[in-house]
Amino acid sequence: MASPSSLGTAIADPELQASITLTVLCATGATLIAACLGVPLGYLLARARFPGRRLLLGLVDLPVVIPHPVAGIALLLFLGRHSLVGGTLASVGLEFVSHVPGIIAGMLFVSAPLLVSGAREAFATVDPKLERVARSLGDNSWQCFRRITLPLAGRGILAGSILAWARSVSEFGSIVILTYNPKVASILIFDRFTAYGLPAAVPAAVLLLMVALAVFALVRLVEPRESR
Amino acid sequence: MIRLEGLRVRVGSFDLRDISLEVPTGGYALIIGPTGSGKTTLLDAVAGHAPLLEGRVWAHGDDVTRLPPEQRRLGIVYQQYHLFPHLSVGENIAYGLRRNVDGADEAATPRVQALASLLGIESLLDRGVRGLSGGEQQRVAIARALAPRPRVLLLDEPFAAVDPATRTVLRRELRALHEAEGITTLQVTHDFDDALRLGDMVAVMAGGHIVQQGRPEEVFRFPNSAFVARFVGTGNVIAGHVHRTGDMEADGRFTARFVSGALELHVVADREGTAHAVIRPEDLLLSAAPLPASIRNRLEADVVRVEHLGPVVQVQLAAGRDLVAAVTSATATELGLRPGVRVWLGLKATAVHLV
Repeated sequence: MASPSSLGTAIADPELQASITLTVLCATGATLIAACLGVPLGYLLARARFPGRRLLLGLVDLPVVIPHPVAGIALLLFLGRHSLVGGTLASVGLEFVSHVPGIIAGMLFVSAPLLVSGAREAFATVDPKLERVARSLGDNSWQCFRRITLPLAGRGILAGSILAWARSVSEFGSIVILTYNPKVASILIFDRFTAYGLPAAVPAAVLLLMVALAVFALVRLVEPRESR
Repeated sequence: MIRLEGLRVRVGSFDLRDISLEVPTGGYALIIGPTGSGKTTLLDAVAGHAPLLEGRVWAHGDDVTRLPPEQRRLGIVYQQYHLFPHLSVGENIAYGLRRNVDGADEAATPRVQALASLLGIESLLDRGVRGLSGGEQQRVAIARALAPRPRVLLLDEPFAAVDPATRTVLRRELRALHEAEGITTLQVTHDFDDALRLGDMVAVMAGGHIVQQGRPEEVFRFPNSAFVARFVGTGNVIAGHVHRTGDMEADGRFTARFVSGALELHVVADREGTAHAVIRPEDLLLSAAPLPASIRNRLEADVVRVEHLGPVVQVQLAAGRDLVAAVTSATATELGLRPGVRVWLGLKATAVHLV
């Protein structure tokens, strides 16, 4: 079913190409947004003790236990044109339902917890005394974060980001409700499976798998080596 | 100079209160307290890493209490050294130097080289910090702290993580380095040996505050409480009663008898009633024959245990109360000291320090 020739056809298939490109770009976008929000949040959760910290920890992990179609419906209610938030955003041109931002929102919802947890654990392994030493050597808190904390936590944050990215690429349940079209790869594969059966779905599935593995391998290759 | 003025720091469930201490420029002071008494937190508070509930910190005449750590210019070396694991030895030492010279690593090099040669770690500069021995790590941590020429060096139990042989070498080096760099140093430790070997001044902490401070020999010789005496290891600390026997002299002192169970000693006291007698082991004279009458206290004692500690021999004796004496190994051989042997014990009245 996944013979080289059928794989070749799959690669040449413009709809599949567009779908995989869309998936990879949306997953990357979702991961970048998750990193921008999740790295500071992970740092806060690892370092600061404040009232409501446990609640926040719980909230961050909540998406993991919510069934994805339920998450899709929740996002639909929250971001749909008839909701307060969705309506306001739509009025400034940011539409979610049946638009690319909807895909990213779905991906973000399910993948962000992985990145936040990864970052939190990575920061927690950096001994605060290393930061104190750096501060006493003249670093302000930002310089210390940039020169000590981030390099030492970088590996863990990267690992969390890869997980988040992979989770985004594989997301189906929430996106299928929020943005069926344009189709991300997982939806396209599902679509072909239901419409044309297994022979039509397998080459596309294999291609998506290969793209995901290639990106995974690339990131593992370029990530910083184990520190000295 | 560093001056701590009435510092108060909360450590877990207990408070450190009224911590006041002044170390003159170029001085070396130690704060000594039992393990787990909050010494690290105190140092962190001085460096600006932990909140100070009360009090002020002065460095070279400036009030730095409200300054963030990076503006205090106080170098800190923690017990576990905390070298930056992602940087080489040279980069670790140069860490605090770059900002002064706007990214010019070359300008930092002479200082790094000078410190590395002073500490004998030049050959390590290009290496990573993993795999360094405890002693090497400590030298790197000290060089790193000294590189930006801090006003004060803060040391947290710097010898706790190395073996005794290395400790001896490091203490000597640290003393030499302190003299070479002339840096004001404040160290916290649980080991009174550090104070005797390094310090110009020592403050003993108990129950969250400083109970005695002064020159290390002074504190060692004249502890002001049974706690300090036991803590600094002055030797025999015996609880008992002082009964006056003579007239008061001009200095307010008088001859008296100190009684503790079956043990009675002639002493010179300045107060009566309950007291602790502190007797240094080396002040107890041992003899096979009765001692001359010029020695006020002459007792018979039985040897309970003999412990050989290199050139010194510690002798546990039963003389009404348990006493520990220290003699040279030559004397121990001469007297044939072994458990069960009866000896004469001499002690000058003035060698009994009452607290």
